[in-house]
Amino acid sequence: MIKNGDTEGGADNTGGRMTNDSAGGMTDGMKMVCCGTAAYPGRLNIIPDKPETLYYIGALPEDIPTVGIVGARLCSHYGRTQAFEFGRALASRGIQVVSGMAIGIDCYAQEGALSAGGRTFSVLGSGADVCYPKSNYTAYREIIRHGGVMSEEKPGTPPLARNFPKRNRMISALSDILIVVEAREKSGSLITVDFALEQGKTVFAVPGRVGDSLSDGCNYLIAQGAGIAYSPEAVLFELESLKRTKNSEKSTGNSEPCENEDLPVKKRRTDLPPVRKSVRNPEADPGLSKEARCLYKFISRDPMTLDGLLAASGLEPSEAAPALLELMMSDYIEEIARHSYVKK
Amino acid sequence: MFKTILSAAIAGIEVIPVHVEADVSDGLPQFSMVGCLTHEVKEAQDRVLTSLRNIGLAMMPKHITINMSPADVPKSGSRFDLPIILGILAADGAIPADSLEGVMAVGELSLNGDLNPVTGILPVAIKAKEMKIRCLLVPRLNEWEGRAVGDLKVIGFSNIPEVLDFLRRGTIPLHSGREMPSPLLNRYEEDMSDIHGQESVKRAAEVAVAGFHNLLMVGPPGSGKTMLARRVPTILPPLTLEESLEISQIYSIAGLLSPEHPVMGTRPFRSPHHTLTPQALSGGGRIPSPGEITLSHRGILFLDEMPEFARRSLEILRQPLEDREIVIARASGSFRFPANFLLLAAMNPCPCGYYPDANQCHCTPREISNYMNRISQPLLDRIDLCVECPPVPYDDLTGNARKGSTSQEIRSRVAAVHEIQRKRFAGTKIHFNSEIPAGRMEEFCVMDPGAGKLLKNAFSKMRLSARAYHRVVKVARTIADLDGSPDIRGKHISEAICYRSIDKKYWRI
Repeated sequence: MIKNGDTEGGADNTGGRMTNDSAGGMTDGMKMVCCGTAAYPGRLNIIPDKPETLYYIGALPEDIPTVGIVGARLCSHYGRTQAFEFGRALASRGIQVVSGMAIGIDCYAQEGALSAGGRTFSVLGSGADVCYPKSNYTAYREIIRHGGVMSEEKPGTPPLARNFPKRNRMISALSDILIVVEAREKSGSLITVDFALEQGKTVFAVPGRVGDSLSDGCNYLIAQGAGIAYSPEAVLFELESLKRTKNSEKSTGNSEPCENEDLPVKKRRTDLPPVRKSVRNPEADPGLSKEARCLYKFISRDPMTLDGLLAASGLEPSEAAPALLELMMSDYIEEIARHSYVKK
Repeated sequence: MFKTILSAAIAGIEVIPVHVEADVSDGLPQFSMVGCLTHEVKEAQDRVLTSLRNIGLAMMPKHITINMSPADVPKSGSRFDLPIILGILAADGAIPADSLEGVMAVGELSLNGDLNPVTGILPVAIKAKEMKIRCLLVPRLNEWEGRAVGDLKVIGFSNIPEVLDFLRRGTIPLHSGREMPSPLLNRYEEDMSDIHGQESVKRAAEVAVAGFHNLLMVGPPGSGKTMLARRVPTILPPLTLEESLEISQIYSIAGLLSPEHPVMGTRPFRSPHHTLTPQALSGGGRIPSPGEITLSHRGILFLDEMPEFARRSLEILRQPLEDREIVIARASGSFRFPANFLLLAAMNPCPCGYYPDANQCHCTPREISNYMNRISQPLLDRIDLCVECPPVPYDDLTGNARKGSTSQEIRSRVAAVHEIQRKRFAGTKIHFNSEIPAGRMEEFCVMDPGAGKLLKNAFSKMRLSARAYHRVVKVARTIADLDGSPDIRGKHISEAICYRSIDKKYWRI
């Protein structure tokens, strides 16, 4: 599919190999599509300076409901689980997930989509045959098998910082809805949001706690009128209504792009899908010990230390350890760093 | 005329009896010294001649020859000043010829004839007792250290005239023989119950000490890792007098004993700074002196900020952690130092210290993995336990948290487990659970069926490495011992897994 050594072997930071041929030597499995041809993704036409040539490995996204998921590279455990869950839930409903395969949120969202057996696509800032970062190599190979990676850069282009903001316009153009999972106040993800708004796309943000710096960007987007991604169903619901609007626009012949500069004022709505509740309740699990049920009460989505749990529950370390292992083995909780526990 | 007097040289931590031979004869005035001597020893001639003049015993110009036998053992330090001056005076006839029979002398001279203390008196006194020496002559400030051995006549002198009085007339100086404070064994100023909260860390320390498992504490700066480490010596089994003398000998040679407390009453706690060189850790020098690992013998070696230590220094620990001693080879011979210590290490979870709190930690995955990679896997493999040391909440600081056991209580539990292990490993080379080799795991670590099943499930679920397996079982053995259970049960396995050592993939980024 791709030549040996073009990603694995790259020992340096750039992660890849320059092609010998400056005209764009093509690696195995690399395909190329030009603007104006039938294979060229129609959604990219929305971009004023759309790429003339698109290089890709695997497939290109189809014109079906597509969601872009972007966010911080250095994300929290909360961001990681949300990105994975949104990717998984949306992909399992046949929705394409587009992202940038960066470390952090991007990659977790795509891994989520892969875990559901869905289709997912990466728009890279390097050449399509250059896996960056290298640590995502496994995901890179999987994404090629279950979707594709694409780039407007020539094959072999190293991951140059200046190319990354540019690729964001393609992520938003390919998506119907853009979800921001975790973003600091000044985050690269907000560049993608700006492109999305220019292109008339709907933006959703996963809310976080006030005061969590990793959620500042998302909360600010919500304040500005972004949709609140409180569950994957909320996004699905919005996709449905987008489809209805599109159809009605088609039937009435009204093809004016919707005005997104000023987001509409939200009214209290009752037709939204309900907040998702955890279906697993260890309180009702007869297989769990008393200590395990007692400890579970003190574990939240915020990392809780072993010591904090001991202080809160009053259990002895020798009692708490078996209970914690029990909860971990039955997938109620997860140890995200040494003696840091969160609800799964 | 030729006279000889006994003294002692120190090589590593061994004491070698040395005969200091003095010959004073007519001839061209000359002072020559032979017998594999370093220049500190040779400098003695100036101190000796000058102090003789200053105490009013100026000699006629003579041909003086000093030889130290065995002549092939390297001798260093200023401890030979006293035997040299006594040898010369005896050879010159200034003191009775038979007064040096069965006497051993060690001490440094001052130009005015005063005697200054030297290092290594305790091991010399032990050697003197073995050799059934009649009397050991030492500087006044070393007297208590020499007498700590017991059953040996040790006399401290403040200057040469006092020594001469003793040798000529048997007059013992008035200040000598003062009542010596009996060594205060196991009196620690700190106590485990000083630490409020942090129950999990204290428990891990108890398990570590009980089975002699090395412990790694991970936590942000200021979370009390050092405070806890300082208290770990207090929960080790009580120091016996023999152990105390053994430790004191090392400290005596290193010159770390105080004249007032010549015997170590507490287990050593060494906390070297991370700028430590490999030689300072292992012991070094042309004639090696004890390094930090030897100074931690029968106590704790605490490495705070472990990833900040030079990798070359850390790698030195690997062999002593297995063999419990270190052999240092130099041109002058090879020296064996004991190094039976418990390793406590502390580190931050990432360079900034706040991982996994993503709101505070801004370290990139690459930075975190670089930080981790400073500690080699073979060294991590020798650390059986890992515990997270969380920041202390306000309630705990103000004393609202559980106080937990006192050091005394923990110490008795630990001592009981040590006794179990002594019986279990009788007739083998193993001393503690941490030393059980993989091949004898089934013999010593009998698990009940539930425990075996739990361990199997946990391993596949948590994707633990094969090398983690043995460490979990060994730690579970210790936890079961603390529980008084002959078989390892499920709860013991659970707790061992809870404190399992880290492997690098653990930092899941």
